[in-house]
Amino acid sequence: MTFAWRTAGMNYLQYSSIAARALRRVVKSELKTEIAKREGVSVKYAKWTNGKAGASAPVAIIETRPQAEN
Amino acid sequence: TRLYASEAAGVPVGKLVVNFALPHESVMANKEVHQVDMSAVSGDLGVLADHVPTIEQLKPGVLDFIGDSGSQKYFVSGGFAIMNPNSVLNINAVEAFKLEDIDPQAVAANLAESQRLAASAKDELTKEAAAIEIELYESLQSALAGRAK
Repeated sequence: MTFAWRTAGMNYLQYSSIAARALRRVVKSELKTEIAKREGVSVKYAKWTNGKAGASAPVAIIETRPQAEN
Repeated sequence: TRLYASEAAGVPVGKLVVNFALPHESVMANKEVHQVDMSAVSGDLGVLADHVPTIEQLKPGVLDFIGDSGSQKYFVSGGFAIMNPNSVLNINAVEAFKLEDIDPQAVAANLAESQRLAASAKDELTKEAAAIEIELYESLQSALAGRAK
C-alpha cells in the first residue's frame, strides 16, 4: 500500500517536514522564538554511482503558506 | 531456566524502558513506564512490556506514556517507534509538544487555511501537502477536545 504523498511525487523527508512545520505553527506564542531556529533546516542529496558522488541537489521545500517578501 | 529477554537484560518485570528523542532534544532517556499508547500507520496500539518486537511508523497524533506517576501525553508530528526484544522502546519524532503548549485557536485558524489551500491548489504536490496538514490539525483538535473532558 503506497502512501498518497508518495503517489503525488513527494518523498518522506518532504512529508515529515510538512507535518513538523504544521505543528510548529500552532504552538503557543511564548515558545515560538525558541522553535523558530528549527525552521530553516534544508537537506541536500547526491546520487552515488561506482563509488562517486553525483551533483548535489537540495530537497525541494513544498510551501503551504504565503512567504513574506524579503 | 528460561527467561524473558527483558528479564535477562535487567529491565524490571512488567516494565518498558523508553528512550524518546527529537532531533533537537532528548525528551526521555531510560525511563521506566508500564505502557505507551501510540497512533501508528498500521493502527492505534498500546505497547506493554514484552510486546512483540516491531517497527511502527507514527502518524501525527498523541503518544501517551503511562507510568507510576500517571500519564504523560505528547502530540507528535510523526516519526518511528521501535520495540526491541528486551522491552526497550525507542521512539523518535521530528516535533513533539505537550497538549498544554498548543494554541487551540491557532489550530482552528490553520486548519481553515489548509482547507482553503486544498480546495484552491492547482498541482498534486500542493494539494497533498495541504491534506497532510489537514490530517494533522484534525487529529490535534480531537486530542485537545479529549483533554478538555
